[in-house]
Amino acid sequence: MIKTWMTPWLLMAVPFLGAALSLLLRTSFQRMKTSALLTTVASMLVVIGTPWALGDTLAGVPFLCLLPLTAFLSLLGQPLHRDNTSAWTTTLVLLGLGLGILTAQAPAHDVMLLILPGLLCILLYRYQSGATPETWRGLSAYGLSMMSAALALLLPTPASTVALLVTCATLLPLLPVHSGFIATLTGLPGNLPAFLVFLLPTVGFHTLLMLLPNLTGTTLHTVAILALAGAVYGSLRALIQARPLPRLSYAALAFFGLLWWYVADTGTAPMQATVYLSAAGLAASGLLLAWYAIRARYGDIDLRALGGLAYPMPRFSTLLALLALAALGMPPFGVFSGFLGMLLLPTFTPSGPFAVVMIVWLTASWYYTDFLQQLIFGRQRMDMRYDDLRQTEFASLVLLLLLLLALGTAPSRFFDSYIPTPPATVAMQEGTWIR
Amino acid sequence: MSFLALVPLLPLLTAFIVMTGDRAEQDQNARAGLLPVAAAFLGSLIALVAVTSGDPVTIQFYDTASVANLAFPIGFYIDRLSAVMMVLITGVTMLIYRYSMGYMYQDRGYRRYLGMLGITTAVLLCMVSSANLVMLFVFWQILSWLLFLLAHNHGHAATLSGATNTFTMLRLSDAAFLAGIVLAYSLYGTFEFQTLFARAADTPVTLSLWPDLGWEMNGATAVTLLIFVGAMGKSAQFPIHTWLPRSLYAPTPIHALLHAGIINAGGFLLNRLAPLYGLSPTTLHVVFVIGMLTAILGATMMLTQNDIKKTLGFSTIGQMGYMIMECGLGAFSLAVFHLIAHGLFKGTVFLNCGNVIHKARQEPSFPPIDREAEESEFSNLTWSTGFLTTLLLPLVILLVTHGVLRIPLIDSQGTVIFLFFIWVTSSQAILSLTRIRAVASWKVSAAMLVTLVIVVFTYLFAVESFTHFLYPNPEVVASYFKAAALPGRLFDSLVVGTTVLTILSWVYLYAHAHGRTVKIPGWIDVFLVRLYVLFMNRLYLDQLYLKFGRIVTLVAHHLEKRLS
Repeated sequence: MIKTWMTPWLLMAVPFLGAALSLLLRTSFQRMKTSALLTTVASMLVVIGTPWALGDTLAGVPFLCLLPLTAFLSLLGQPLHRDNTSAWTTTLVLLGLGLGILTAQAPAHDVMLLILPGLLCILLYRYQSGATPETWRGLSAYGLSMMSAALALLLPTPASTVALLVTCATLLPLLPVHSGFIATLTGLPGNLPAFLVFLLPTVGFHTLLMLLPNLTGTTLHTVAILALAGAVYGSLRALIQARPLPRLSYAALAFFGLLWWYVADTGTAPMQATVYLSAAGLAASGLLLAWYAIRARYGDIDLRALGGLAYPMPRFSTLLALLALAALGMPPFGVFSGFLGMLLLPTFTPSGPFAVVMIVWLTASWYYTDFLQQLIFGRQRMDMRYDDLRQTEFASLVLLLLLLLALGTAPSRFFDSYIPTPPATVAMQEGTWIR
Repeated sequence: MSFLALVPLLPLLTAFIVMTGDRAEQDQNARAGLLPVAAAFLGSLIALVAVTSGDPVTIQFYDTASVANLAFPIGFYIDRLSAVMMVLITGVTMLIYRYSMGYMYQDRGYRRYLGMLGITTAVLLCMVSSANLVMLFVFWQILSWLLFLLAHNHGHAATLSGATNTFTMLRLSDAAFLAGIVLAYSLYGTFEFQTLFARAADTPVTLSLWPDLGWEMNGATAVTLLIFVGAMGKSAQFPIHTWLPRSLYAPTPIHALLHAGIINAGGFLLNRLAPLYGLSPTTLHVVFVIGMLTAILGATMMLTQNDIKKTLGFSTIGQMGYMIMECGLGAFSLAVFHLIAHGLFKGTVFLNCGNVIHKARQEPSFPPIDREAEESEFSNLTWSTGFLTTLLLPLVILLVTHGVLRIPLIDSQGTVIFLFFIWVTSSQAILSLTRIRAVASWKVSAAMLVTLVIVVFTYLFAVESFTHFLYPNPEVVASYFKAAALPGRLFDSLVVGTTVLTILSWVYLYAHAHGRTVKIPGWIDVFLVRLYVLFMNRLYLDQLYLKFGRIVTLVAHHLEKRLS
């Protein structure tokens, strides 16, 4: 019989076992990829099955399902190549860790939260061929994150709350500790950026939900200012990037900055915020996957070096246009619904900073449209050999779009997050961790 | 009447028929695609008949109490205004679609174009029949995106920047619209039009803009001002009108739809929210000023353009300014009447414009040089008729209204506005006609008189009937005029000023046509030349926005450099 305390370990075990299995199958890329895909499906089934077996409420399950689903979609379109294999295994490890953090209670939660930036540090160090300033900044940010997580384990409240908030700010990116997030999206190989752009903010937001009741007015006010500054900064940086990866990373920073601002301004994190978080993460993930499809064909080239894909690559262009549409907050996709939903709640009152939020929102149409236009419109290059999306790439992007559509049109209560556990209220009873 | 909810979906069927299937069968599919559009037109006519004889049709697929929890509160509210707009949209689309089947034949993007036409029509229909503010906004935004795509000619470099400019400008206004919706919901707690109007009227709210300085604003004013910025974008109002002339590389029939349908969205929005605008005289005055500026600047810029499409584009901007100005004066129904008339007229002109360009390309020739021959046919009869009719017209109108209809003009700005528009429109029509110098003079004179009769008849009876049709309650109409009433002296000055300007223009043109020199001080001549250059370059607004964009980019680069 499954006990409640087993849930996080069970959820972690499946991807970890899958990772081990995929390592055993590394001689055949096809088998390795299939095994990784099946592991994500198995994880999803465990996510759905465990509360059902326990007779628990299914609230939050769709939200949890998004994690293995994103892992599945990010893996699906990957070409079979030696360079990608380690990214597949790492995806499974990160998935396990992510599911563990989302479902475990303190102190296991806090320990895992310490491991995640540590793992990211290793990945960043491993995959950065040259010691670029971005890598070092990323490593410092994650180092700070680890240190804060460790301090949170040792210190009493409220110091531990502030320490955890710093960890949280490196995962769900907040100025000035956003460098790790940017370095992760721009520096890691294969499908990892597309998966991590969803995983890290989700984990960060989940932790923030736990901390929220303990945050003081001053802290929230400071966070709100930093969030607004981060959103503006992200927008400005996204505007001037010639390469897609930094542009998409800074755009994600701007959009997550808006979420930080909302939570700090209202002191609440409603269901609509979860929808917004998931949708912004998925849209960024979709764009990163789409760009990966281009990178796999032509390398990591400048945006200006390519163009006119609309006619030779119609499937790619259509999907990219729709993903950009979703990412910049157009209906009927989730980013728009989540954003509007948050603003319409009675807890929110329009005030001065709201004008800044609207400017950030508006700027997105500038850099995303430019990104789109440079890639798919304009003159087609005659010296390029165009190759439209393969079936798996096409399927992964279509499914992502459908997810974004579902987030935009389904009632938001379906996407309620897993009820977080405030660390202070954890108690031991009959050998099980309960809330 | 639930089947009316299907009307907006029919053009989607057109898009589906056209965009799917084998490319070899595209002509056959295009012909089949016309049927759903025709059915939508028929459905719109049925809707018009239904709402004329009965109450508005309301179809809701959501619970109004929990609307905020739903991303898409889909519902339809078809009243007389919606039905009129639906008939206009589907009618114009049907004609454009049929025309495009020939005009775009064998074009590379034939299927995409017809499909987009279907989708745009569906979005427009959903927008005008929206049951609430959120649904209206959702389709409003989708329309912005569709405009971005429609304005594209993928291989043409200039079009790419034009399309980006279009989308950015429209998003700017959309952001303000969104802010207006959020504010409206936080103040009144509803999106449903009728409930919103009722709550806004019952519970006036005052917003504190800057508590320390004691700056306050009426809640309805804040909401309507923000939403008006949304309307300004779609209806190309100064200073965010620049997207319209820059989007002129799209296929010509698309311009017919754009100028006959899409651009009227601003006028529709103001009419849909007329009860809310009626609560805010300040906003109405702002609307009036923006409309007036757009009308003057748009018309002036039109006169200085040397490209047929740009000329028509600026003409539309001027007309949209007129339409918005009418709303600002409280004459909401007049704006709808105007947008229908202008839509039909401009649609026809644009559809013909393509043929003119084609013809000009096939038979290149220099402009006619027999200017002197034209001048020799100058007719005193033509000019005198025009001069006298235009000058005497205000007197005739005054006598008729004062003496026959017994309307107290001094107390009623609304009536004066209607009368004034009669005079200005007929003057404009007559001025336009007298430029046809080569035509025999008696024909022109007869045309002037006929125009005069038509314009006067249309305004006095048709507009009045249309106003009664859209707003059956005369008290409501009167309340809008009252809310929009300008201070007496200002209003009188405006009327007198415009009258003097029109008469002076006539005198100048008359003298000029006679070959007489009108003595103008030298500095005015220099000023006029400078003004001409300024307007020919469209007030350098495009460059100004470009500069602003560069400054933002520069700041961002500077920031990046400092932080790296």
